[in-house]
Formats: sequence, structure tokens, C-alpha cells
Amino acid sequence: MSAGTNHEHLYWGVDCGSTQIKVIACDGDGKVVHKRIGRTLFPLLEHVRNTISAGGSGPSPLTEDLLGVKENHTLAATGYGRNHIEFASGKLTEISAHFLGAQQLLQLDGPYTIVDIGGQDSKVIEVHDGRVGQFVINRKCAAGTGAFIEELAHRLEVPLSDLTRLARLHDKDMTLNSYCTVFSGQEVIKILMNGERLENLIHALYASVVQRILEMTSITTQNVVFSGGVMNFNPILIDLFDEKLPDHTTFLVEDAQYCGAYGAALFARGLAEKQAENFSQSEVNVRLAT
Amino acid sequence: MDMKRVMKDYFLDLDQASKDPERKVAWCTSVGPAEILRAMGFEVFFPENHGAMLGATRVCMDTIPKANAMGYSPDICSYLTSDVGAYLKGITPLTKAYGIESVPRPDILVYNTNQCKDVMHWFEYFAHEFDAPVFGIHPPTHLPEVEESHIADVVKQFEELIRVLEKMQGRAMRREDLQRTCALSKQATDLWAEVLETAMARPSPLTFFDSTIYMGPIVVLRGTKVARDYYRVLLTDLKIRAAAKVAAVPGESKRIYWDGMPVWGRLRSMSELFKANHACVVASTYCNSWIFTDFDPADPLPSMAYAYLKIFINRNDQYKEDYIRKLVNEYSIDGVIFHDAKTCPNNSNSQYNLPSRLRKGGIPAVIINGDLCDLRCYSDEQSSTVIEAFVETL
Ligand code: SF4
Repeated sequence: MSAGTNHEHLYWGVDCGSTQIKVIACDGDGKVVHKRIGRTLFPLLEHVRNTISAGGSGPSPLTEDLLGVKENHTLAATGYGRNHIEFASGKLTEISAHFLGAQQLLQLDGPYTIVDIGGQDSKVIEVHDGRVGQFVINRKCAAGTGAFIEELAHRLEVPLSDLTRLARLHDKDMTLNSYCTVFSGQEVIKILMNGERLENLIHALYASVVQRILEMTSITTQNVVFSGGVMNFNPILIDLFDEKLPDHTTFLVEDAQYCGAYGAALFARGLAEKQAENFSQSEVNVRLAT
Repeated sequence: MDMKRVMKDYFLDLDQASKDPERKVAWCTSVGPAEILRAMGFEVFFPENHGAMLGATRVCMDTIPKANAMGYSPDICSYLTSDVGAYLKGITPLTKAYGIESVPRPDILVYNTNQCKDVMHWFEYFAHEFDAPVFGIHPPTHLPEVEESHIADVVKQFEELIRVLEKMQGRAMRREDLQRTCALSKQATDLWAEVLETAMARPSPLTFFDSTIYMGPIVVLRGTKVARDYYRVLLTDLKIRAAAKVAAVPGESKRIYWDGMPVWGRLRSMSELFKANHACVVASTYCNSWIFTDFDPADPLPSMAYAYLKIFINRNDQYKEDYIRKLVNEYSIDGVIFHDAKTCPNNSNSQYNLPSRLRKGGIPAVIINGDLCDLRCYSDEQSSTVIEAFVETL
């Protein structure tokens, strides 16, 4: 994805996640012209507006367009906050958004599986024949999500940015057994009390995240695509998935953190095209956005 | 005939009965032998219905922790914990709804483990608390087929129950009374089946969320004229709506099957969510569980034994799979949502690979995690994302 300058028609995607708001604007060719990020804070709408308007030199869809001055911008929302973004012309779930983003960025032929580790949840999405088939979202516990990594990093007093480097220095494979963040925290303390190296423990922590994801569903496709910010910032996760899935081909989508926002922008494009054809939003088939 | 009125009259009468030394009250499980109890002159109270009220009013979020704290695990039936907790706190949603101070005191408690064994623990607790006798029917469970020997077994247990009731009432069971309650149940349940079948129309005139309300009388008033008359009126109304193509979900574009318990505390928001996505939940395992077409007034005990053995929850997985497939066809279903209720594995059919088997047969299926009452086990965000994404992909 690359940043550009003014374009006549822009399609905006806002991925309002549990920890961050990601914003992408693309042109009619799907080329990214704006990319913005902010924290998910409250009041939500204010922070969404600020994130959309902040940074970047291009037009703000809020001030110039969505308030009715022009009609050449369309905005779609995804993420847990999608239903609260009242000025969006359409919304879609993260499942569809990550699919649309990954499909456009990778243009894979044949079936593939998207693994998206998010701040509060993780998803495994199977794509067949250019559309979403089966998908699962992790169950109630934080284990297997970014929140789990953050929580244990906090307990270990290790900066998040240092975790992958330390994990790569491990010299022993260990297992954290528990599903539960609290139980895992207790396991961690016990392991540390037994004098284990921190590097081995952090490696085990990552391995457990991978394990929790692979327990959610069996991955049956040859191609596996990684998406979402947690993968972006913890690249060791990809190494660990590669170890566990030796017969699969894995891909990390470019700017994985923005994949959902990009998918939403593509959805907005599809929406605008459909609206131009005088269809209602409910009739827009997300597949057409690709 | 107004639903609110029907339920109000039922509860007010129960309240009267519990205060009248001449009348006796029996507690009964939701698929227990209400016809026998009514034929023997008992007024019947259904604690599961009370559990659902505690769930729908979300009062359970104050009462479940009370039961947990006294030793009932958060992992067991949250109807049970809701109800036990309400008793410990001395509260009931009946007070706000009908001005009734407390649930009716039981003279006997009758459970049937055709649905689960939690009901046994639940009824035993209250039998102890109220110092009342408890009678359990323990049928063969999880059957691939219902066989003659199974029926004979249950008939024997029914006969034993009748002897206990006869002793309490000081009179013998009159066969014509049992035939009457059985006939009334049969008429009501056949009408209930027809009510649910109106959802085969496209667009459907009713949704699962409506049906969870409409089902009140078939649960608590089986064996009475009131239930039969209520469903006659409801059916006529729904048939008119179906013929006039009045859609329960305007712009209905996807048709969904719901397996598992409702999330009682989220009925309204779930209903809105489906509506907003133009998806109509047209059929469910849950509402269909009160269809007992095999009742036969000419042969009441064996036919009741058969009907209560045959229920979905008491069958093996192959039966369940075939049953859902059949309904998917009959109701032109686009996809199946399984509610995996944390505290009711008995009514959660996603845990033994059934969704995968359906998918392999070309039926889209998805699982949401939640619970019937305990909202601590439920995430609005996660469930709505799964449901919306599922509808998007259909
Ligand atoms: S079937 Fe489930 S909800 Fe019903 S009483 Fe048993 S455990 Fe509770």
C-alpha cells in the first residue's frame, strides 16, 4: 500500500477495532491514497472523526464530503465499533472486510484460509471460490488474541516491541497449557519461580497463541494468509505457524494491520458502484467489491 | 385471545391454588407428564418457565451469583441457578408482572430426565426446601429409535406416579380424565405445530423470537382448553398474515434455522439484529420441542410415553442431524446457527461435530457462544459479529 495525493473519487474504510482505529482511503483502482491510525478511545465518534481527519494531506471525508458538500466520497465501517459510526454509508463485519482486503492484495487463485489475530479476538476464515465459506471466531477467553500477549508482557514487564526479539533467543521449547489468561499467568509465574529463562517463556507464550488458533478449526487449504496487527508486530508468530503448518504455503498481507480497513474501503467502492446503479445497500454483494 | 391475559390468568390461578387448602400444586419439568398431573386435579407450575422469566427480565444476573456462592457451580444449568438464587433472595419476576408474592408452594415435584439430569438436582433441592415429595421419571435416553421396551418402561413409571398421586388425592385416576387432558394436549400441540409451520411461507409471518413468546401456553397449559383455544386464534391470525404476505422481517432475504436455547436476556436485541440484516429465523429445534403429535387419547399412557421419549433432546446425534436436515429443506433454510449455551450442553448440539457434518452436506452452519440466562457467558459484540458475518456470507 502506498500513500498518494488528492483524487477525485475516494473510498474510505474505517476499521474501528477494540484497541485501534485504522483508516484507509483508496481510489477507484483500489490504490491506497490515505492511511491513518488512532487509538480506540471514547467518545468513540470523536476519536473516529479525529483519526479520519488527522495526518495525511488529502481531503477529509467528514469536513468536505460526508457532510454533504460533495458526493464523491463513500465511507464504510468495519470492526467492533462499526455500528456506531453513524456517518458511514455502509458497514460490514471484520470477516468480510479481511477477506476483501486479502483477496485484493494477494489475488490468490483457489481456496485459502485467512488467520487474523486481533486485539480482542481471533478469526480463521476459509475462502472458497472467491467467497467466504466457513469461519470461526475465538471463544470467550483472551487466550489466542493480542490481549493475551499484552497481558503477559505486562506481567513480565517486557516492552511489547521487545517480545519477538527475546523469543527468538529461546533455547528450549516449552508449553503453556491453559486456555485461560489468568491460569496462564499463574503458569508463567510458576515457571519463572523455577528459574526458567525469560526468553524460553516468551517463546512458549507465542507458541501457545498459535496453538489456541490451531485448536479453533482445522486448516484444510494449502494457502494460509495472515492478517491483522498482531501478526504485523509479532512476526515470530508467522515462524511458529510455519513450523506447525510445514506443508502449507503462508503469506502475510502487506500492512496486515490495515487489511480490514482496506477491505472496508473496497466495500465502500462496491457500494458506490451499486448505488450508482440504483441498488439499495442490502443488495450489494460483497463479492462484487473485489 | 390475548397472550398476556392467558399467562396472567394462569399465574393468578396458580397463586390462588397454592393458598387454597382444597387445591394441590405440582411442579413439573417442561417436557414432563403434565397431562397426568392435570388429570389428577393438580395445578401445574413449571420452574423452567420461571427460569426463562428470570432470564428474560435479567433478574437472574442478581440471582445466579447467589446460587453460585452457596455451592451451585456456574457451569451447571443457569435455569437452576437462576431459580435457586431467586428463592434464596426471596424474589420472583411474578411480583412485578402479576403482583404475586412468591412461586406457588409445591405439594409434589415431578421431573423427567428425558431432557437432562440437572432437573433432578433442581427438583430435589426444592423438595427438600419445601419438605414435599419428589417423583422422578428416568426414561432411557439418547435413543436412536424409540422401542416398545422403552415405552413399556416409561408406562410403568407413569403408573407408579399415578399411584403416588392417587394416594395424595385420596381417589383413583379416572381414565376419561386422562383421555380428556391427553386429547386437549394433542389438539393444542397440533395447533402449535401448524403455528410454527406458517413460517414455511415466504416471507415468514413469524420469527423464532416471536415464537419463544407464543410458546408460553404450550409449555405451561398443556392439557387445558385455554391452550387449545389460544392456538386456534393465533393460527388463524398467522394464516391471514401469511396469505397477505405480511413479513415478520421486512425485506426477508435469508432464512435461518436456530438450534439450541434462546439467549433469554437478549431476545429483543437479537430479534433487531436479524431484522436489520434482513434475515428471519424461521425454524428452531427449541420451539419444535413442544410438538407431540403422537399423543393418542384412545391410548393415553403408551402414546404419552412414546411422545415424551421421542423428543429431539432425548435422541442420538444421527437423529438430530436428520431432523435438522429435514427442517432445512421444509423451511427453505439458508443457514443454521448453533447456540452453544455454556450451562446447557444438553440443548447445545454443536459440541459433537454436527455443524461440520451439516457443512459437508452443503448446509452453511455457524456457532455462537452464549447462554440461556447467564450473561456472564455471553458477548453481544462477538455474537453479533458472528451472526452478521454469517448472514453476509450466505
Ligand atoms: S435442558 Fe438445559 S436448560 Fe433445560 S433444565 Fe436441563 S440443563 Fe437446564
